[in-house]
Amino acid sequence: MKINAQNVNPFVEAAMKVVNQVTGIEVRRGHLTYKANVEPSFGVSIIIGIYGYLTGQVVYSLDGKLADRLVDKLLEGKSPQQKKIMFLDCLGEVANMITGNAMSLLNQRRDQLLNITTPAIAAGDNLSVHLVPKPALVLGLITMYGPIEISIAVEEKETLDETSDLQSVLSEV
Amino acid sequence: MATRVLVVDDAYFMRTIVKDTLVPNGFEIIGEATNGAEAVTKYAELKPDLVTMDITMKVKDGLEAARDILARDPNARIVMVTALGQEKMLLDSIALGVRDFVVKPFTAERIVSAAEKALV
Repeated sequence: MKINAQNVNPFVEAAMKVVNQVTGIEVRRGHLTYKANVEPSFGVSIIIGIYGYLTGQVVYSLDGKLADRLVDKLLEGKSPQQKKIMFLDCLGEVANMITGNAMSLLNQRRDQLLNITTPAIAAGDNLSVHLVPKPALVLGLITMYGPIEISIAVEEKETLDETSDLQSVLSEV
Repeated sequence: MATRVLVVDDAYFMRTIVKDTLVPNGFEIIGEATNGAEAVTKYAELKPDLVTMDITMKVKDGLEAARDILARDPNARIVMVTALGQEKMLLDSIALGVRDFVVKPFTAERIVSAAEKALV
């Protein structure tokens, strides 16, 4: 599997822009590491599949306190009950916006286009997320309320077969 | 009389944001749908003046739903509301006859302006 570090920068740029735009929270870039398998480090994980000339998945992982803070900022003025109901949706939409923005930046480089799946979200203190084993570049982002980890496990493809790509990604998400 | 709107998005959070933005600006939300198939059914039942439509949804996506709605009602007014990165689908939807599109995250002014423009 080929992993290209250049595919990481659009995610950094998108995450910094989107999180700041929708919540006002500043995001700084942290360390970039390599992992043989995607293993989310924190209690809230959001998984989005990518298909097109890149295929694979992006996993966003953050701890519950930061997730609460993001939802508080996004839903200012809403009751605690409404915040609870919309908690997972909210985080999924933020991940969707970050991934969408990153796709747009990646699409500018090529004639071909990338597409994304709807987010799958898992949250809980004693939760483990099992994903198809794939190596990933793991990007740390830092906020004043805690870290966000983005694991990018996408493979470059030379040929595009949208239908089969989508099926393979959906089976993994 | 207020403009009657059908809001289509798989995320309750986004439907709430769209509603909270449109209602104070004189729009009436007459229905919600969580996927494209529901949107097509509710459009036929409710005959809204305007539809706000997400693109990436399970069961049936927003592009397919817009195609089905416009095939049955070529005068349907649809505004696509989607994250960046869906440029191909947005272009396809404009070619179908969708009136405008709004990119998430959006400002209140942007979605109100798109909704008003779609009604002209």
